[in-house]
Amino acid sequence: MVLLNVNGVECRYGSIKILENVSLSVKEGDFVGIIGPNGSGKTTLLKSISRTLKPHLGTILLDDKDIYSLKSVDVAKQMAVVPQDNTISFSFTALEVVLMGRSPHLSRFQMETESDMAIARKAMDLTNTWQLAARPVNELSGGERQRVIIARALAQKPKILLLDEPLTYLDIVNQLEIMDLVKSLCVKEGIIVMTAIHDLNLAARYCSTAILLKNGKIFSAGRIDEVLTSENIKSVFKVDAIVKKNLVTNSLYVIPLSPPKSSPIKNCAIHLICGAGTGTALMKILLEEGYSVTTGVLNVLDTDFETAELLNIPVTSEAPFSPITEKTRKANLAMINKASTVVVTSVPFGHGNLQNLEAAKEALKKGIPLFVIDEVPIESRDFTQGQATALFGDLKNMGAVFVKNQDELLHMLNVSEEKLKMAKNVPPSIVDHLKARGAS
Amino acid sequence: MATDKIEYNYSRRSSRWKLILALLIVALVVTIIISLNIGYANISLSEILDILGKQIPFLSGSINSASISPINEAIIFQIRLPRVLAGALVGAGLAAAGVIYQGIFRNPMADSYVLGASAGASVGYTVAVLYVTSALTLIGLGTAQIFAFIFAVLTVFVVYFISRVGNKVPISTLLLSGIVVNIFLLSIETLMELRSGQALSGIVAWLAGGFSNIVWEDVWGILPFVLIGIALTYFFTRDLNMLSMGDETAQHLGVNTEGVRRILLVIGSLITAACVCISGVIGFVGLIIPHMTRLVIGPDHRILLPASAIVGAIFLVLCDAVARIATGASELPVGVITALVGTPFFIYLLRRRKTSYSL
Repeated sequence: MVLLNVNGVECRYGSIKILENVSLSVKEGDFVGIIGPNGSGKTTLLKSISRTLKPHLGTILLDDKDIYSLKSVDVAKQMAVVPQDNTISFSFTALEVVLMGRSPHLSRFQMETESDMAIARKAMDLTNTWQLAARPVNELSGGERQRVIIARALAQKPKILLLDEPLTYLDIVNQLEIMDLVKSLCVKEGIIVMTAIHDLNLAARYCSTAILLKNGKIFSAGRIDEVLTSENIKSVFKVDAIVKKNLVTNSLYVIPLSPPKSSPIKNCAIHLICGAGTGTALMKILLEEGYSVTTGVLNVLDTDFETAELLNIPVTSEAPFSPITEKTRKANLAMINKASTVVVTSVPFGHGNLQNLEAAKEALKKGIPLFVIDEVPIESRDFTQGQATALFGDLKNMGAVFVKNQDELLHMLNVSEEKLKMAKNVPPSIVDHLKARGAS
Repeated sequence: MATDKIEYNYSRRSSRWKLILALLIVALVVTIIISLNIGYANISLSEILDILGKQIPFLSGSINSASISPINEAIIFQIRLPRVLAGALVGAGLAAAGVIYQGIFRNPMADSYVLGASAGASVGYTVAVLYVTSALTLIGLGTAQIFAFIFAVLTVFVVYFISRVGNKVPISTLLLSGIVVNIFLLSIETLMELRSGQALSGIVAWLAGGFSNIVWEDVWGILPFVLIGIALTYFFTRDLNMLSMGDETAQHLGVNTEGVRRILLVIGSLITAACVCISGVIGFVGLIIPHMTRLVIGPDHRILLPASAIVGAIFLVLCDAVARIATGASELPVGVITALVGTPFFIYLLRRRKTSYSL
């Protein structure tokens, strides 16, 4: 049983602490993802484990032996490293490079034997590099070279494989192939794999456990699904992210949302009538533009509902797959009354959410400007035998502003009052209303 | 199938290496014999072969001694042969030192000359000649040799530690510190020359690099350093392969990088010092020979080291032959010839380094 123990490791460059009090324990068959933002200490941690950068404090034990007291050749028999930078100056052939992986197992004068050759051949077959064997390694593409380096690491027959951002140079097919390969070595032969990895989705898909680093300290460690939560991602990466289970790969997947822009906050509240994902992108953009946003009525489990929850947008919600009840309708109207503008997205209307369109009509009656994003013709998304289409006609007659798409909406929201006046189909009441709201 | 052929060629590699070395040795012997033919006195090739054959135990019986003139025998045996052999040994030593330095610094521009080992050795030699009156001897070495060794090793370590940044030796700082230390040593050398006046005229001639006053003692003096130095280095050729992949990679493959580097620095500097002691400063051999050899046979140090040594020997023997005949009666220092060949090559390397090397 191979065990790797990192106890209270602290690394410094000058007076700056790169790693602080890092402790972890890894056992045979673990596939550990080391994740964290740039500069969080991922590479430093791998370097201290790989005997390259001796920590100032703490110990790293391989099967209870301090690796810094072992000879490098004895460590090399058990541990292989795939570094981040894989440039090679001299024109060794790919096969020669892979055979160097056998070196720790050879004595000083021994030439590589047939069995070393067979091991190198197998490593190159696994990494799909055998066809490159005779090519000078400094003439290979970044991705090819990376696979050769991984083959060299495999030729070492290690019990521990450390990889530092192994996928940087690889295209998506090679990324998956390499990760599949490493994973199978981990599962079948019980090799410990530790990899620094930027791609949270690949980490989620392949790693069994993860270490999340923040400013050189372990922020979270444990099973991948315990570490990779939207709360942790938010606190460490400062990015909102949606973490869900992918039913196809049966692993978590992470959808990062771009970091919030800091637009000046506008004194304008927008109520969104949306659903089925038609409001998701708009919610984020409106927030970024500095509007305050509310939305409703949305069914729980609706994509737009989840987005609203994630973005902390006040939402009037209804039970899943249920029509809007009287109570929620009133709550929604109360929310609309507080808004300065109401926007209706190109959401399909059925009997369940037709009430939302009635609510839009109410808003117009109260003099609240209404924008309708008419991206998809209402006829094709009207599942109420024409009721929704009729309501749309009413809205148009009552002075709702119809826009073609999201961009036009943002433009209309942004234009100054003067321009609004000049626009032909905007009734003066809306401009007055905007002016009144803006002034208050 | 093409891929199976790769494996086949690779497993036949060591026999291919032996063939390369055998061919190179034949080429060296031919070069030496031709070179013996070159000089002021006109001695025919067949006579040279007879003179040499006489010295070989089993062949001596079949040689007609009557056809050999005693004067020619003396010229070949006492003047030309030691000179040519010294040229071969110095060429081999400088090329081997170049392979060592280029390997441990991962720098195709490094050699004894660039790193200051040659300059260090010559300052040491000069100090010994001018200021050390008590004759030291240590395991058969003269005072001058001991001082040359010490100064060469010190210089290379000084350059190495100046250019080391953290755990790495960036190529630019290595070259820069090499240049600075070289200029410093050259100033010391000049200062000593000016202070000493007459006593140094011989040293000035020696410094320019050449084999004009070589005797058999010089050959026996350098022989063990070059041969043992190369043999010891051969222990570390696989480590050199891995060092040329980068320090961290070498460590991950089990090389004790710092230890190997220091041992090889000492060996390279000892070989350099032994060469400088008999022939002065001869530049560029250590730079261009490993390079040309690498281009032809590849970067594996297990073949690169011995092959470069033999190619270096051939190269310097040829350069010395050119030096003897280039200007008629007065001969050129061989360092001038190697510099004339080497400088354009050095510039060529600088120009194309961006594509081949990540400096």
